[in-house]
Parts: sequence; structure tokens; C-alpha cells
Amino acid sequence: MTTALSRRQLIAAGAALAAASATGVADARIAPSSLQPLIGPGYRPTDRDELGMWQQMQRVEEEVAGSNLLMKDAGLNRYLQGLIGKVGGPAARDMRIYLARIPEFNAVMFPTGFTVIFSGLLLRMRDEAQLAGVIAHESAHFLLKHQIRQYRDLRRKSDVLSFASMLGGIAGGAAGVYTGDLAQLAQLGTILTLLRYNRQLEAESDALGVRLIAEAGYAPLSMSETWEQLIGEIELSAKVRRKRPDRGYSIFSTHPAPRTRMVDLRASAAELTVPGRAYDRGRERYLAALSGIRPTLLDDQVKLNDAGATQYVIQSLAQDGWNGLLRFHEGESLRLRNSQKYHDRAALSYASAVAFPDAPADAWRWHGIYLMKAGRPAEGRTALQRYLSLAPNAPDAPFVRQMLVS
Amino acid sequence: MRRSFLLAAVAASLATSGCVQTRQFADLQFTPPQGDYKLLVLRPDVQVSSVTTGGLPEARADWTEQARANVIAALRAQQADRGGKTLVLERRDSLPGLSAEQVAEMERLNAAVSQSIALHKYSGYTLPTKRRRGLEYTLGQDAIEFGRRTGYDYALFMHAEDSFASGGRVALQVLGIAGCFVGFCAPNIGGAGQFAYASLVDLRTGEVVWFNVLQTGSQIAGIKMGDIRSPDGAAQMVERLLGRMKPGRDVRRAQRARS
Repeated sequence: MTTALSRRQLIAAGAALAAASATGVADARIAPSSLQPLIGPGYRPTDRDELGMWQQMQRVEEEVAGSNLLMKDAGLNRYLQGLIGKVGGPAARDMRIYLARIPEFNAVMFPTGFTVIFSGLLLRMRDEAQLAGVIAHESAHFLLKHQIRQYRDLRRKSDVLSFASMLGGIAGGAAGVYTGDLAQLAQLGTILTLLRYNRQLEAESDALGVRLIAEAGYAPLSMSETWEQLIGEIELSAKVRRKRPDRGYSIFSTHPAPRTRMVDLRASAAELTVPGRAYDRGRERYLAALSGIRPTLLDDQVKLNDAGATQYVIQSLAQDGWNGLLRFHEGESLRLRNSQKYHDRAALSYASAVAFPDAPADAWRWHGIYLMKAGRPAEGRTALQRYLSLAPNAPDAPFVRQMLVS
Repeated sequence: MRRSFLLAAVAASLATSGCVQTRQFADLQFTPPQGDYKLLVLRPDVQVSSVTTGGLPEARADWTEQARANVIAALRAQQADRGGKTLVLERRDSLPGLSAEQVAEMERLNAAVSQSIALHKYSGYTLPTKRRRGLEYTLGQDAIEFGRRTGYDYALFMHAEDSFASGGRVALQVLGIAGCFVGFCAPNIGGAGQFAYASLVDLRTGEVVWFNVLQTGSQIAGIKMGDIRSPDGAAQMVERLLGRMKPGRDVRRAQRARS
């Protein structure tokens, strides 16, 4: 009984463990009908661990609610609160929603039922149904008590692991076998199962989320479309940067891979779609609610200097029709790539932007400058005069006036 | 022979593994507030947790409430002894003349400066420009304005946490010590203890004049060096953290020269 564990045995054990957890990457889809919200209206925790978690969150929410990253547009915030009221299930009236100006595709739900939506998410959604899908996914985290369940999973597994390592060590010590390698392997295995559980919870949220929007009368397929758009964006962003796209298939992922989510959501949507029923997309309402901040959202995206992603986002929004604002920001993104090829394309974008009635003043500015550069001074002057008439108090207005005089 | 050596080593580690440490820095010209001064304590941040078997800190709402009340009471008593008039702000909107937003901004500014102090004074990333100069940080004009509008001389920011090993953690520790007899020794798995820091801002100059960090704990799960859930334990922590305020270096030199 004194033979140490051979390296070969150890590798075999590790491989078996990895194989066992790797199946987590391709977890079976969770049927939307298999899930029920675990909380009702006005939920308050009673368990000791959850009470502690809620208390810690008080200051977090106070900090979030007072953060200067929040976008203050009152109408838009009311609109978002109304939306979570539609797809929030039994807790619809209890949840709070905050909009943060962060140009990324993301949203977060906190254990006490407040969620933070990133502005980059609003930019990417093509209609209310798509946004409702993301909000419903976040609501489902709260309805299914995911944060406390995840914490309990972590606590249970770390308890078991520490006792097992200690007892294993003592047994090994008594028998004269070194068990340190095994203990490390067990630790890795524990981390992998924790991540796998996290992916399972995300899949649960997708499943309950799609049911919530279907019940609220939104097209169930919209959630799957969101993932299709995200995959397209990741691929194009990587291609422009000449990098391999991160497709998210890994036993170390916290979320299921986007493609898996897209496929599962499509299957769930097919299950939930009632033939003959008319589903709402809410595109007009969505555009109206966002009209005040759309230029800011596009501007923030352009300034990320992620040309591929920006191109994808603008083109996906343009599927519903081009306008001056989209063409102008397409021009901005191309111009910032700063090579002759892209300057030529940027000039074309600005030229088509100014053909739309909603072209921003800056579209006229850059249109004029590119015309001047192209050796068409008369047309350039006209465009710049138009810029001055639209933005007489622009910071560079005196400079442009001087340019037109000389 | 080998076994007795092992036991001696374990005993030594048990003896040395419990400790109370503080490390304070002060502005070179700092004199601890005495006599008739007005001190504002901004929302003392208190957190008490239980340490699970696996070593995770698990927040306990009831203990935290208890400890917060005790720490605030201890702070009031301790400052009254020094002769100061103290207001402990428990909510951001309870300061007359200032909005919750303005109080929040002061807290965030202090948090940013405190992070800098922690990084460059405590974490070893010392700055050559700030070497041997005591504590040379300021919250600037905003803090002076804050003091002018509230009428306070000093602002104290304070954070305190305490944690206790759960039954499972103590059992694991007992196993770890028992294992020493068979040659698998884990005598100090640790995981519970106190951590606190305080930062004192002179609202007349805007400068952070004094900063202290307190760490109390033992490496043996189950052995405690303090307990802020009890009034006595909270008073002990406040005393350890704030009780031994040393004057700045220039002031100490001047005092020595006189004596």
C-alpha cells in the first residue's frame, strides 16, 4: 500500500473528469414548460444566507441608483420600467431597472431584483420584442432565484472539497501516499462543475425568458434572432481584426456558447408559437422611445474603434431601412480607419447621408470637407454653408466661416 | 524524536499565528484632534460574516446590524472622551444643507483616494515622489467646500469587517491539527478575522491627515482575537483602530526637541 499514484493513473483520472464535465458544453436544451417561477409577488427572503446577501445588496443598489453612468432620459426609463412590468412574471411590479451608458452588449440582474441594462444593448436591438427577450432573461434569473442557488452550489461543493482533501490527505499521510496531485485535480474538477452549473442556470433563464415574452404577446423567435445578430457581430469584428472569433465553446465558459443558445431558443420558440396568433414586435414604440439617445448610442459604438462590430451593427439596423443617422455613423467608422481606401468609402457614406432629411449637421460638414479634398470646391462650399446654417454655434463654426471667406 | 519535533513546531505555529496589527500613516504636520473640534463620520461601513467550511465568507444580516450599532456607539463614546463633537451620518440624506448626491460624491472621491493610499502605502508599490513624506494626499477644494457648508472640522471614513469560523470550519481545523500525528499537518487553515481601516480628512485644508489599517486574526479557525458583535468587542476594535493616533513626524520631532 505504499505505491504512489502513477502519473499514468493520474492522467487517466483527469481525462475521465474532463470528459465528464465537457458534456456540460453540449447540455440538452431545457424545455420552457419544465420551469416554474420560484417566487411570487413581493418576495422577501427568510433564509439566513439569503438575508445576508440581500443586506449586502442594499448599498450596491444605492451606489448603482446614484451612479453618474446612468442615462437620465425620464421617458426612456419609464419605458424600460414598463417593459419589465410586462415580461417580469410574478415579480413584474417588484423589479427595478437601471440604464447605464456602457457601449457593450450586456445586462445584469442582481439578487434583490434590480437589473442594469447597458446602453450598447439598446443600440443593437431592432425592436421591442428583442429587448423584451433580454429583459425577460434577466427577470428569469430573479424569478428562479439563481444567485442564491449558485452561491449554495459553490458553498456545498467547496465544503465537500475541503473535507475530502483534508481526509484524503490524512489517509494518505497514514498510508504514506502523497495525495497533493489528486487534491489539485479534485479542485479543478470542482471549478469545472461550478462553471457547468452556471451554464445550466443561463440555459434555464433563456428557457423561462422566452416563455415570458411569448405569454406577453411578443414574437418568441426574437430571442433567437438576438443571438444570431451577436454571432454575426463577433465573426465580423474578428475578421476585420484578422483574429479568430471566440465562439464560446469551452468548459471554462460561464455561459453556453452563443450558437447553442441561438439554436435552443429557436427550438423553444417553435414549441411556444401558437399557430394563427398575431405576435407583437413593437418596432414603432421602440424607435420612438430610443429617438432621444440613438445618436449618442451610435457615437459611443463608433468610438470603440471596433470597425467590424460597428459595421455589423449598422448594417443589421439598416435592414429595417437606411437613414441619415446610420449613413453618417457608417461614414464616421470608415473615416476613423484612416486609409485612402476607407476615406473614399467614407466620402460615399457622407454623400448618401446628406440625401436623407434626418442627416445630422456633422454629415454636411464631412461631406463638404471630402468634396473640397476631391477638388470640387464649389459643391464643398455649398455643403459647408449648409453645415453652418444647421449648426451656427458649433465649436468649429468660426473656423469654417473663415475657410469659406478665403 | 521526529514526532516531538513536529509537535514543537505545531505549538510554535499555534503560538505565533494569532496577532493584532495596525499600520498608520500621518501627514508630517498632523496633530491628533483634541479639545473642541467637530467631527463628521460618514456612513461607517460594517460587515460581519461567517466563514463556511470551504472558506467562503457568508454575510450575516443579523450580526452585521448588531455590529454596526455597537461600532457606532463605541465611536461616539471614544470621540466624546477626546472632547470632540461627533455626528455619525447613517444615511446619505440626513445631513442638513447637503443633498444625498453631494455626500455620495464626497464618499466616492474619498474611496478613490483611499485606494491610492492602499496601493502606494500598504501594498508595496511605493512612489519615489512620496517616500519619507508621511501621508501626502488630499481630497482638494471639494473637501474644503464640503467642510465650509457643513461646518465640520474633520471627516472620518471608516470600514470594518469581522468574520467567524462556522462549526464546519472549526471541525476541519481540528482534523487538520489531528492530522499532524499521522504526518499530514494543516494546523492553520485560517479564514476568520477582523479587517478595518479609517481615514481622517481635515476639512479646513482638504488633506487626508491620517490613515490606519487594522488586521486582527489567527491562522487557526475557531480562535478569535476580537468580536465586534458585542459592545466590548466593538469598543476594542475602535480603540485599536483610532485610539493610538500618532502625530506626524515633524510634530514629533518638534516635541522631542522641546523635551
